Amino acid sequence: MFSGLDFEPARLPPEAEALRVGVRDFVERELPGDYLRNSDFNEGHSAEFSQKLGMRGWIGMTWPKQYGGGDRSFFERYVVTEELLAAGAPVSAHWIADRQSGPLLLRYGTEDQKLKYLPPITRGESYFSIGMSEPDSGSDLASVQTRASAVDGGWILNGTKLWSTDAHRNHYMVALVRTGPSGESRHEGLSQFIVDLHANGVTVRPIKNIAGDEDFNEVVFEDCVVSEENLVGAVGNGWEQVTSELGYERSGPERFLSAFRVFVEFVRYVGASPSDEESALIGRLASHIMTLRQMSISVAAMLQAGKNPATEAALVKSLGNDFEKTLPELVRLFAPRLGPKHPLRCSLEQTLLHSPSFTIRGGTREILRGVIARGLGLR
Amino acid sequence: MTIDLILDTAERVFTDHCNKEIRDSAESGSIDDQKGLFPEGLWTVIQDTGLHQVGGRESGTTLADAFRMIRLAGKFAVPLPYPEILISNRFVTGQGLTTVAEGVIAPWARRAERVVTDDGQLVDEFDVVEGANLAGEPRDEVVFENSKSIELPPNFRAIMAMTRVAAMSGALEKLLELTIDYVGERKQFGRPISGFQAVQHNVARMAGEVAASTRASDAAIEALDTDRFVIQVSAAKVRVGEAAGVVAEIAHQAHGAMGFTHEHELHHYTRRLWAWRDEYGHEKEWQQLIGRQVVAVGADRAWELISDCAH
Repeated sequence: MFSGLDFEPARLPPEAEALRVGVRDFVERELPGDYLRNSDFNEGHSAEFSQKLGMRGWIGMTWPKQYGGGDRSFFERYVVTEELLAAGAPVSAHWIADRQSGPLLLRYGTEDQKLKYLPPITRGESYFSIGMSEPDSGSDLASVQTRASAVDGGWILNGTKLWSTDAHRNHYMVALVRTGPSGESRHEGLSQFIVDLHANGVTVRPIKNIAGDEDFNEVVFEDCVVSEENLVGAVGNGWEQVTSELGYERSGPERFLSAFRVFVEFVRYVGASPSDEESALIGRLASHIMTLRQMSISVAAMLQAGKNPATEAALVKSLGNDFEKTLPELVRLFAPRLGPKHPLRCSLEQTLLHSPSFTIRGGTREILRGVIARGLGLR
Repeated sequence: MTIDLILDTAERVFTDHCNKEIRDSAESGSIDDQKGLFPEGLWTVIQDTGLHQVGGRESGTTLADAFRMIRLAGKFAVPLPYPEILISNRFVTGQGLTTVAEGVIAPWARRAERVVTDDGQLVDEFDVVEGANLAGEPRDEVVFENSKSIELPPNFRAIMAMTRVAAMSGALEKLLELTIDYVGERKQFGRPISGFQAVQHNVARMAGEVAASTRASDAAIEALDTDRFVIQVSAAKVRVGEAAGVVAEIAHQAHGAMGFTHEHELHHYTRRLWAWRDEYGHEKEWQQLIGRQVVAVGADRAWELISDCAH
């Protein structure tokens, strides 16, 4: 195809497919019958469930064995994550540590950091939050103002991080902070630190969202002292480090499956003899999911091959997020006034109430379209 | 010759022998300059280079290769019944230009020597009531009394739908290329309009639809020899059909009044997309086919069906 857009054909290899049934059986066994399943990776924080996944070897799957990982391929991880999401299992506790913080440490961390932080993550015992956004820095991440000042043997952090999901439940944050002047590129002088969310000088305040949940947080650092060992990578290399993981962050199944349980409950609701219109909607939604999944697997294959499919990943996320917002909008018209406990109504309401976040978190629709336009050579 | 070499050859042939003038004169319809002239020169070159036999059983190429060729022909808006030529060549023996009818409507029946109907009849004596689709491509009604029953594969309608999926995905890619070129050249307010964020975002959205279409089309081709073929074609016809409307709309918006003129070649692709998405089943027909399969396996196995892992 043309430059910047290349979704190569890819299939999940047999060893990855072989994991599927085991994951499925596991979820059926472990989830209580009355659990309201939700395919949004941000919903459902269960230490118990994460630890059980850890015991099965399903966290940190691609990491080396010496750090508790499974030395498995991205494809195998892909199958496990998509099965968990499709089943609506609670995965948010370990999600960021598994997807982002662990791989970051593997790539840029010291040997001591890897030995200290990675094994507990793979056991499903240690959870991480993202520390990127701030009150005055959202999409314009390079403008962060939280500052780390060098002191004897470590650093002192001051500033505020915002929208850090589950910081009130998790153990650590990887915070992107300013350690020097931003330079002409605005990308210099940024560094990343591991911060213990229970340390002195750290205040975590949950922020209630429109669904009434307290998932994301404001995290304030006031003279918070971190040691030199908490620096991730090199001083001043923070920008490269935060952008290096975008391919992983943006193309996974969590970027188009957030509303999947609404689809499942809708299929259950229409039963064995749907109207033509109901069949058509189910077929339309299924076609989108099948296509997005093929695109997402194609990006996984490029990642596995060591490529950097940044534009393709942005494109999958952008298309996928729009789809997960559209899904409940289309289904609701077929579901007239259902009782308050009806599974379809519960699923629809929960998804609708969280849907504004789909096209904001992990790169807004507007930022992603800019990334795609750049990939196409328009800017 | 490998398919890659054949595709290279085809690209050269299409580039040299398939231009706007030939496409214009091949158009059929009620407007004076829609002459409905069969592009005999192009057809001769295609026969001389053997491109009419790609996918044939004795050609050393596969049906998947035929779909790849049809995709390329879609990208060049080749004004021949090219999908019908390749598909009939694969499934029916015999000589002469053969077209395929959806029901009784066949591309270029007026010029064809034989017609294969999609319900398995071979017709070599017939009358024609000339007609055209909204792209001006001849779509003639075939009137006949006698026919010979022939054996076509049971998924023949899906195979024909796949020809439209492949052709559409080629045309969609062409529209993205045309649009990227145009917004980079066209200047307003003292700079190329590609510099405006509103334009960039529309093109980015278009790229998403085009990439999804390419992937859906390729995935269906990859499933050709498996029991997933029909469901993948169904999904692709749905997804690509949906993309056709979105992409054509954005392409025209980006090209402004220029792209609305008959002189500009944009409409050779947009009108074909509008026509092809309705041929061999529009989106809703295939949506229902998939929807009924999902409902048949039930809510708790819907994911298995979608993810191709019914164990």
